[in-house]
Amino acid sequence: MRVNIQMLISHGRVARKMGLGPESRINMLRNILTGLVRHERIETTRGRADEVQFYAEKLIDYAKKGDTDEKAMKMANFWLTEKDLIPKLFKVLAPRFETQPKAYTRMARIPNRENLDRAAMAVLEYKGNPFPPLQTAKRDNELTLLNQLLKGYREQRAQQAAAKRQDVL
Amino acid sequence: MAACTRRLDKVMFSIRLLRNIQQKNERFLSTSMRRLDEGSDGGKPTKFTPPPKPVIIDKTQSEASLRKFLSPEFIPPRQRINPLKFAIERKDMIQRRKVLNIPEFYVGSVLAVTMADPHASGKTNRFMGICIQRGGHGLGATFVLRNIIDGQGVEICYEMYSPRLQQLEVLKLEKRLDNNLMYLRDALPEYSTVNLDMKPVPHSVTGDVPVNKTRVRMRPKPWSKRWERPKYNVQGIRFDLCLSPEKLEHAQKWAEPWREYDMLKEYDTTALEERFLKEVQTEMSKSTCP
Repeated sequence: MRVNIQMLISHGRVARKMGLGPESRINMLRNILTGLVRHERIETTRGRADEVQFYAEKLIDYAKKGDTDEKAMKMANFWLTEKDLIPKLFKVLAPRFETQPKAYTRMARIPNRENLDRAAMAVLEYKGNPFPPLQTAKRDNELTLLNQLLKGYREQRAQQAAAKRQDVL
Repeated sequence: MAACTRRLDKVMFSIRLLRNIQQKNERFLSTSMRRLDEGSDGGKPTKFTPPPKPVIIDKTQSEASLRKFLSPEFIPPRQRINPLKFAIERKDMIQRRKVLNIPEFYVGSVLAVTMADPHASGKTNRFMGICIQRGGHGLGATFVLRNIIDGQGVEICYEMYSPRLQQLEVLKLEKRLDNNLMYLRDALPEYSTVNLDMKPVPHSVTGDVPVNKTRVRMRPKPWSKRWERPKYNVQGIRFDLCLSPEKLEHAQKWAEPWREYDMLKEYDTTALEERFLKEVQTEMSKSTCP
């Protein structure tokens, strides 16, 4: 086989290598995605959670097209290995995210696995699930002095912009 | 004696100064006189301005019925590059297109290209052939023309926006079953020959482009690439004449059926295409050369 430089350099490659090859990677992602659709909150390694996040959101985008759409049905049929989840996807998850344009999932990191491999773990969930909320990375506390001053500045700027728009009109 | 020379020097210096000033004034006067002359003459400019090129407006077809075609090199690949780079490149491409008419053509159409060549008598050389591949993005867009001349297959890769290109003529506008006709290298030579005295075949500006559904017969294996493998997705070869069904089945082992479901590989360009098509059309319809 002609091994060219393109094979050795991975600039711009977005897909991680997982499992035994491209087919194994897709199968693994399929299984994780099916589990996510069934339980709405799952715990995996960080790399797998990151990969599945992309596919989970794209699956919701396809589900939003409706189950009469041929392509959407084919995608759902491929990605969900347990076929009783296809109606759940179209009838429960798609209407839940109708108002949101993107960001249907949330990923939170967890302490390393207890096994010998000490793998870095993460929890991936669809927003709006019935479980108690996860503790995701906290944004900076809004009650600090600097944040309050910045908030006031932002409000001032917004007011000035609104006043300008009024003048123009 | 020394005092005399010094005074003489001063005098000479002052004379030279005066002469310089006089000459400068003369020069200034003379150019201004010429400019005044120009203004007064009106009909005889010294600098040659070329006559305006005729703008051909075809009013027989309505704008809605014209075929909408955006050249594939306008669509940027999926990269993390700042879109400003593509916007600037598009501006340059449109500027070049205002000077040189790059017609609409597809892989499988027959083109004739005249290029500037300093070593040829007449300073230009003309080549015609079937377009087998269109590659590159932006100003580096290329197309490869293939023809067989005196029994020798010749492929020339031209850069569409190269300043050496002087004329691009589409002799026959048609599409083929594939986007990439590289397999013509392994096909029988009759499929790659284009008659050098071919006359341009008239094509319509409205409606769909005719699709040439010829399926090509191949030379015996080995080929330059294993065209039967599904990765090349070749529709235009008669595999039933050159390969046995077992071999075709064996080639299907390299099929990756998950690829069409892989959402990461999807690149939806419809929105981009519409935007760029509108941009290109508005820019081209503005005044061309001054």
